[in-house]
Amino acid sequence: MTIVSNVKQTLSTIKSIEAQLSSFAINSLDENAKKVFHETMLTICDVKDDLQNRIYELERAEPQYKG
Amino acid sequence: MIEVKKMPGWVVIVGRSIIFLLLMLLTTKMLGKKQISELSFFEYVSGITIGSIAGEVITGLESNLYHGALAIIIFGLTTLLVDFLSLKSKSFRDMVEGRGTVLIRDGKVLEDNLKKEKYTIDELSALLRQKDIFRVADVEFAVLEPRGTLSALLKKENRPLTPKDLQIKTATEKEPQTVIMDGCILDEALRSSGKGRRWLQMELEKLNLTLDNVFLGQVDSYGELTVDIYDDKIQVPSPQQRPLLMAMLKKTQADLELFSLETECEKSKTMYKKNAVKFQETIDKLAPYLIG
Repeated sequence: MTIVSNVKQTLSTIKSIEAQLSSFAINSLDENAKKVFHETMLTICDVKDDLQNRIYELERAEPQYKG
Repeated sequence: MIEVKKMPGWVVIVGRSIIFLLLMLLTTKMLGKKQISELSFFEYVSGITIGSIAGEVITGLESNLYHGALAIIIFGLTTLLVDFLSLKSKSFRDMVEGRGTVLIRDGKVLEDNLKKEKYTIDELSALLRQKDIFRVADVEFAVLEPRGTLSALLKKENRPLTPKDLQIKTATEKEPQTVIMDGCILDEALRSSGKGRRWLQMELEKLNLTLDNVFLGQVDSYGELTVDIYDDKIQVPSPQQRPLLMAMLKKTQADLELFSLETECEKSKTMYKKNAVKFQETIDKLAPYLIG
């Protein structure tokens, strides 16, 4: 396992978390819960972008791990 | 009542029973739920009287039907009037419905009040035991309500522990909606939980069930479906999405911290660290909603 593939794995977990959170935000009945799920989803989204950028950087530095 | 005399007795009783049953149903409906719970002294008395008047008239063949009906109507109307006046005036309420009597204050039994209500200490301890209190010393405050029930407040250290005592933040929860009953979809409940039939079909498919198998299905505050099926031998998985999401969040947070230790690039190190902190905050924020 290379670093890049580890980071990619984490990125996909984050995407899954994001999807689950948005599903909870839609399905919850309580307004407060809806809000919290939505807010945290946006935070997770920021982290996802950071990680995605890092993957681009890593791939540029070491093109052999691209894919 | 000439025509009544000509009829046989049992016909009269059947006829009167039906009439009075309807009349009493109407009276109690008019007086509302309070009449049924017999909360106040007045309702208790009027409830008994209405019942016995009806019984008397139905079985007493020689008595006049209209007199009985009149008495019931008067009792019903008076109770209604008293209820109305009680709503308006506090002093009237105290007079008619009575006030609670304090029997224990600051952990001490007030013997004078006990005597006034003609309660023995045995009866008081019996009432306390019904509330699972076996030591009078544990009680901070107890009131004998007008209806004869005892309300007791335990001392702070003897009260059950609440999340507030432990300073745990809890999420508010909406009441669960029953959306499937006896294999039928209840559309109204489904709508008030903000879901549709298609969603329900999808959730049932996820659980590998058909609608006919489900005896009871409820949707909770988070839109998760829990079911009880006819065949008790089959195990249905309980919703795992929320604990699973928490586990994923924790794993990712740990991963981010690991990356921040592994990388040699300073810029990425701070990026990973910052995001690990963000994740931790998110976990703390979501904990009340995802656990429990």
